[in-house]
Amino acid sequence: MILQTALLIGLVVFSVLAIALKDLLKSAISLAVASLLLGIIFFRMNAPYAGVFEISVVAGLITVLFVLTIALTKSGDEVRESKLVNWVFPLVFVAFLVIDALVMKGLLGKVPALASGAETGAFGEVLWRGRTLDLIGQIAVILAGVFAVLALFRKRDKHD
Amino acid sequence: MTNTWYLYVFFAAALVFAGLLGLLGKRNLIKLFIAIEVIGKGISLLLVGTGFAKANILTAQALVITYIVIEVSLVATALALIINIYRHTKSLDVRDLAKLKG
Repeated sequence: MILQTALLIGLVVFSVLAIALKDLLKSAISLAVASLLLGIIFFRMNAPYAGVFEISVVAGLITVLFVLTIALTKSGDEVRESKLVNWVFPLVFVAFLVIDALVMKGLLGKVPALASGAETGAFGEVLWRGRTLDLIGQIAVILAGVFAVLALFRKRDKHD
Repeated sequence: MTNTWYLYVFFAAALVFAGLLGLLGKRNLIKLFIAIEVIGKGISLLLVGTGFAKANILTAQALVITYIVIEVSLVATALALIINIYRHTKSLDVRDLAKLKG
């Protein structure tokens, strides 16, 4: 439990760093570390498949995409952020954490109990049989993404 | 059981709020997108944490895997859009998008 809490704290710290750091490359790497920690948390919560996907896809592939974009947009670091945000952000965040700690337990008590028993069977059965529609949706979304990237990077024809 | 659930929901809410703050305060397009990613991390933590606390981890895992796959396609599209915007405006400042004409 203590290790899990430490991992969760690390996840929040690296996520906040990813947003707050000025250097884009450093913030992309912080995001990758946060994904890695989230993957480890998933492993420790008996969700190995989600953990594998989180570490390989989010911490690996998405980080590569981010670094590539940062390399392709060289003057990206020169955007001037507002100075007000730099000291308002931590203050508001700490205030939210305090409110979160005070209120969340009471809110959770008011959530009605979900009518579901313990699951049986293997993960594959739930994924392929129980959530077939989601898989079809995934295929559609991947195709849509591929076509969107193709459309965004298409070359100009000679006739134009 | 409620204590475990409380722990995960607490940190998920913190992640979502950090992402929202980033979305509100930052001006760099890549930073804004990183903030969206952080919100997504909070949501997947909430899904798996709730599944873990309510003994429904298999469905939660299936949902998170669906989300991760969709996230990849979202990231690819959004980063392609950001590169195109950069080629047009020569900067990543989100305020420059309001000045586009013609």
